[in-house]
Amino acid sequence: MASHLLSLLVFSGLVSAVFAALLRDDPASQRRFGTRLFLGFVLSVVVLGWLMAPLPS
Amino acid sequence: MLLCYDRGFVPAGRHAMGSEATQPEKADQALGRPWAAAALSLGLLLPGAGHVVAGRWRRGVFFCSALLALFGGGVAMDARLALHIGLDDPLALIIELGQIAIGLPYLAARALGFAAGDVRAAGFDYGVTFTATGGLLNVLVALDAMDVALGRRP
Repeated sequence: MASHLLSLLVFSGLVSAVFAALLRDDPASQRRFGTRLFLGFVLSVVVLGWLMAPLPS
Repeated sequence: MLLCYDRGFVPAGRHAMGSEATQPEKADQALGRPWAAAALSLGLLLPGAGHVVAGRWRRGVFFCSALLALFGGGVAMDARLALHIGLDDPLALIIELGQIAIGLPYLAARALGFAAGDVRAAGFDYGVTFTATGGLLNVLVALDAMDVALGRRP
């Protein structure tokens, strides 16, 4: 898997799904919590990536 | 009057606090300590097996699929599966213990020759993260299976 974005999406999706099933009981709140967690993962990585862009590699 | 109340003049199966009213129902669903121990041990050996033992086979199949996808994806990205003994690199030790926590899939991957990995591969770091996260999540899943068997979780 050469795409960084695809790795991020797969990782975030799987981890969010597991945490949602662990921490919430009914399907509706699992979906809500899993979606928020997934978006939190993806958006925070994108924001941190842009913030680190000016730093030397 | 207060003394009588404190001694428990409350009908059987009911409690003074509303939040405790479901405790006897939860206790009825408990499988007992031997089943909880079996759920924990089997859950640590194979992801999701603890939930199957505790009677939640659908959740067990879901956890098995998700964690095997994480671990298998990490192995496919050329993660290294070697245990680094020693305290000179404690972070590496924690990550490798996390990889081991996935249980039998770790041993199977090593037996199939995926232990070395490839540090030059583009996905090497991602692979290590995927495999370690899969193992660490498996510990949480196995503990959840124990709680289900003890009647603490639905």
